[in-house]
Amino acid sequence: MSYAMIRAVVVEWLDDQYHFGDAEKLIGGNDELSFLDRAILDSLGFVKLVVHLEDLYRIKIDRKNLTRVNFDGMKKIVTYVLSHKDYRGPR
Amino acid sequence: MSLAEVEFAFFFPIVWLLYWLGPRRAGWQNAVLLVASLVFYATWSLQLLPLLLLTTAVDYVAASWLGKHPKPEDGQEHGGRRWVLALSLVSNLGALGYFKYAGFFVQSLSELLHLVGFQGGFAVLHIALPIGISFYTMTRVGAMLDVYYGRIPACRSPLVFFTFVSFFPQVIAGPIGRGGDLLPQYEVPRRLDAERLASGAFAFLVGFFMKAYVAERVAEYVGPVFQDPSAYARGLHWLSLFAYATQVFCDFAGYSLLAIGTGRMFGLELPENFRRPLLSTSLMEFWRRWHISLNTWLFDYIYGPMTTGTGFMRARYRLGFIVVFLASGLWHGAMWTFVLWGFLHGVALVVADRWDQFYKTLCRKDRRYVQLRRGGPYKVAAWGLTQGFFLLTLIPFRAPSLGVAWTFAKGLVVSGGSSQLEAEGPAHLVLIAGWLVAYHVIDFERFRQWRERFFALPTAARGVLYGLVIVFLAMFAPVGAGAFIYAQF
Repeated sequence: MSYAMIRAVVVEWLDDQYHFGDAEKLIGGNDELSFLDRAILDSLGFVKLVVHLEDLYRIKIDRKNLTRVNFDGMKKIVTYVLSHKDYRGPR
Repeated sequence: MSLAEVEFAFFFPIVWLLYWLGPRRAGWQNAVLLVASLVFYATWSLQLLPLLLLTTAVDYVAASWLGKHPKPEDGQEHGGRRWVLALSLVSNLGALGYFKYAGFFVQSLSELLHLVGFQGGFAVLHIALPIGISFYTMTRVGAMLDVYYGRIPACRSPLVFFTFVSFFPQVIAGPIGRGGDLLPQYEVPRRLDAERLASGAFAFLVGFFMKAYVAERVAEYVGPVFQDPSAYARGLHWLSLFAYATQVFCDFAGYSLLAIGTGRMFGLELPENFRRPLLSTSLMEFWRRWHISLNTWLFDYIYGPMTTGTGFMRARYRLGFIVVFLASGLWHGAMWTFVLWGFLHGVALVVADRWDQFYKTLCRKDRRYVQLRRGGPYKVAAWGLTQGFFLLTLIPFRAPSLGVAWTFAKGLVVSGGSSQLEAEGPAHLVLIAGWLVAYHVIDFERFRQWRERFFALPTAARGVLYGLVIVFLAMFAPVGAGAFIYAQF
């Protein structure tokens, strides 16, 4: 499972839940972009995304790590999932 | 003493001069702020000051212990850490529960027993509510949980920790501080910065205008009608409700700006608490813009952990809304009117979320619905619905009892009662309405340049304008302004 594949999963989820095909356009190829600042995702959306990723990839995100620093942006989200010690690919 | 009272005009310069004229060291600055904060708190309640100090001491010791015993790398918690966290939570929530809720629950239980035919009941408890307890408890609980989860290091200095908890602009009515944002600011010496000072003074002036003029002026239209709704006509009910919406917003947003402005003049950046909430086009957005420090707290420490945890509430996002808003209602006050208010908002968020889910199915089928949602008419309708709901739920928020709330609500549709109300002429209302619109509209992209132009004016020109505002306040702000609605929570 590569960065690109997890990224595609996140984009698909964003499209399905919030942006209906416009997620990639909103991110604009800049994976460092803050989702909160650019209204790509709100705080409730983050919670839903975390639960989705935990269920899909069978990981448990530690409360310590559940912060804006770790999750506010595509690169941060994908990197976190890839680096998670329990990560073994999608369910 | 409050931030909008005359006494503060004497208190603040003394503290400010001591703070900046003394040694440029964090220790001195924090010591000045701590002593000033304790004096400030003592002017409200000398008797309950030891409660603030004692419970803060418990948290300091508990946080220090947690700092020395971090969570093991294997992620497995051990009992000691949980016990220490529990001790802190019992200390905080126990004090809050006893002082704020014991009377309410005992009285409610007594009434319930009476309803089912049980004679007797319990003596009604009259317990003095320590001022600011809801705010400083949340500040400390948040910091404790952050230390427990390892998000922030434990604060080593008791001086820093006590100053962080009791900082006088915040301790009465927030904004609720976060350890991660504020503790690092207290740990380093602050430098006097002209730009920051000017920005703080500006925020203070705007806050003072909102509180002392707007909130106090419209209050004249609120109190009498909410006190005895059946005595007034339908038109006055609506006027009173709009006036209360303006009052509660300007009172609390005004207080927050006073606190933020004061903090800035000491070189400290307190969290933003209001971001033009009356522009919101959904309830979710509204709660991201109104009392931000409380709502982010509730979200980060209750909603998030609850719905992402492994228990029953996992992924139960809608039930989570109701739980959190019931908590928010109770946080605002130990009265059934606040419980109803919280429940209504929780249910409304559930309805809004269900609507969003339904609308998403439409969008998936046909992209024209996406465009429709982004269009002006949809936004205007959503804005009207959001603000209208907020307005109507202010009835239980303000009414002294559920019975009065119901009478007031009926008065919005049923005609009757007097259409005369003793208050100042409508000129103030027109001015206030204009100001309220301007305050919100200035946030629109096309009007932002006006704000930038204002700040680009020469200092002397801005000084004259500020002076005119002060003269206006001296002439038209009602005498006796000072008590804040949120301080009672």
